[in-house]
Amino acid sequence: MTTTIVLQQAINGIVLGSLYVLVALGLTLIYGVLVQINFAHADFVTLGAFAAYFFMHLVGLGYIPSIAVALIVGAAMGWLINASIFTPLRRKNNELLPLIATIGVSVMMQNLMLAWFGPIPYAFETEFSRHVIRFAGIFVSWQNVIIIVVSALTIALLYVFMKFTFLGKALRAVSQDRETAGLMGINPNFLIMLTFVIASALAGMGGAMLAPVLVLTPFAGTSVIVKAFAIVIIGGFGNVEGTILAGLIVGLIESYTTQFLNPGLIDIVVFALLLLMLAIRPTGLISERREENV
Amino acid sequence: MSETVFAQQWLGKATSSRARFLGYLTAVAVIVTLPLVFNDTYWRTNLTVCAINVLLAIGLDFILGYAGQLNLGHSAFYGLGAYVSTLLIVKLAVPFWLAFVAGVAFAGLAGTFLSLFAVRLRGHYLAIASLGFAVIVHQILLNWISLTQGPLGIYGIAPPPALVVDGTVIADFRNLTAFFYLVAGFALLSFLLLSQLVRSPVGETLTAIREDEVSAASLGINAAAWKVFAFGVGSAIAGAAGCFYASFVGTLVPDAFFITEAFNILAMVIVGGMGTLIGPVFGAVLLTILPEVLRGLGDLRLVVYGAALTFVVLFIPGGMAQAANAVGERLWRRRSA
Repeated sequence: MTTTIVLQQAINGIVLGSLYVLVALGLTLIYGVLVQINFAHADFVTLGAFAAYFFMHLVGLGYIPSIAVALIVGAAMGWLINASIFTPLRRKNNELLPLIATIGVSVMMQNLMLAWFGPIPYAFETEFSRHVIRFAGIFVSWQNVIIIVVSALTIALLYVFMKFTFLGKALRAVSQDRETAGLMGINPNFLIMLTFVIASALAGMGGAMLAPVLVLTPFAGTSVIVKAFAIVIIGGFGNVEGTILAGLIVGLIESYTTQFLNPGLIDIVVFALLLLMLAIRPTGLISERREENV
Repeated sequence: MSETVFAQQWLGKATSSRARFLGYLTAVAVIVTLPLVFNDTYWRTNLTVCAINVLLAIGLDFILGYAGQLNLGHSAFYGLGAYVSTLLIVKLAVPFWLAFVAGVAFAGLAGTFLSLFAVRLRGHYLAIASLGFAVIVHQILLNWISLTQGPLGIYGIAPPPALVVDGTVIADFRNLTAFFYLVAGFALLSFLLLSQLVRSPVGETLTAIREDEVSAASLGINAAAWKVFAFGVGSAIAGAAGCFYASFVGTLVPDAFFITEAFNILAMVIVGGMGTLIGPVFGAVLLTILPEVLRGLGDLRLVVYGAALTFVVLFIPGGMAQAANAVGERLWRRRSA
């Protein structure tokens, strides 16, 4: 009996964790290239969720195409925020200003969505939510299978892109040393734009898949993003492998805390882990050597 | 001598000690007159909220603008001050002012503790650590139901006891005007304290650390100790704001101290002008009043608020202080022409 519960919660944790990974990877990618934080990332998650909801209900092509729509909406938002906020502020060379500006964007987006969609939570049921596979006493809905498959594919694609393609290598070059990369004929502005588009597409897509799990209101993204920040730090800012590992760990912590302790304790456990990590290993799970110029 | 330098000296002169004294006199006069001009309950309530937010903003500005520590969790110290003082009053019947001191001390110690732990961290790591701290504090307030009553909140918190001298009531804090004078007076005192600190060798030390920590350390400055000190002072002031908030509103719910509150305080500092003490005062007043003035817009008021915040950062990154300086400079040029 207990083994079944442990296994069941492991699957739930991995489902949740892989969604957190999608959201946190976006933050990490942007941080890796720009050393900046986009606070509106949370609202891209929410917007992706709403885009998927309305596409599914108004167009009626089913759930899978609506994930693609959320991805496109996210990508467009990424392009927009880079062009309107991060590019103009880059010249000012101040780490705080973009952070504050995106807090402003976040307030704006949340309240626009509140004006349009209202405060009452939306019930996001897909055609896959009710179909359940039973296997050795464990229940897995098709919805969860889709989440795991799509996230794993996306993460694998991203990994291959970063490690093996020219653009991916150029991206890593820019995140290591923007000036030198520029001297090597890489256009850093294009790559920064590309990073924002990819990161925000992941957020939008994550939103479409988180929506059935979350309480879908205009403020849904905030609870996710707070955990995503914790994941990014536990995994090491700017570190892709660390973020994936940390995301899965946080997902598992969440499902086991819900099962064996108290759902109210989730954030306390996650952030206690975060503070512990900062105390003993501030560079994250998988540390990357970075030189500091004095 | 170029005109700009000249103008800067003229502006610099305006902050000489005599001008500062005049400035404080004006501040006292403004504080005294405000509740007389705005004589309805609605605006007098807003005035007190402004004063509480001024306390929060100048405390955060000291941490952020002077000691260069990106604190995204100021709401935690605000909440700790509010809950510690209120719980002492409600559960242990501790007298108000004793509970006030305890709340301030607790918030200050919590800030010192977090900072002690976080001085090794820089920039965004500190930002996320402080954000994490604020999330933990909010969640504890929400989940420790036997102590805080969680989301149900604590109701019927009494205002501070009336000030009585020789049997005559001098100030009854059930009265909105008296309460405003109390908080605004405390805010003015805190401002005075911080402005003395900033202009003392302590302030110069903090500036040196903010500009270049390594160089400062090479001059024998113990950067870590000063940063911890600044964090402690700033969070103690937030604790005081929390005590006032609880006794003013009379109700405490954990959601008043959610992380979005920390972002609001940060916005006040940035819009006012980080690293100047007077800027965040105006930033706090503007960002408290603005959503009220925009109330007619209904759902869209916070959209306008967010847009305003974004535009300030994009086009006036130095905030209101920068804008005021620019206007002052232009006036000077016109005068000298």
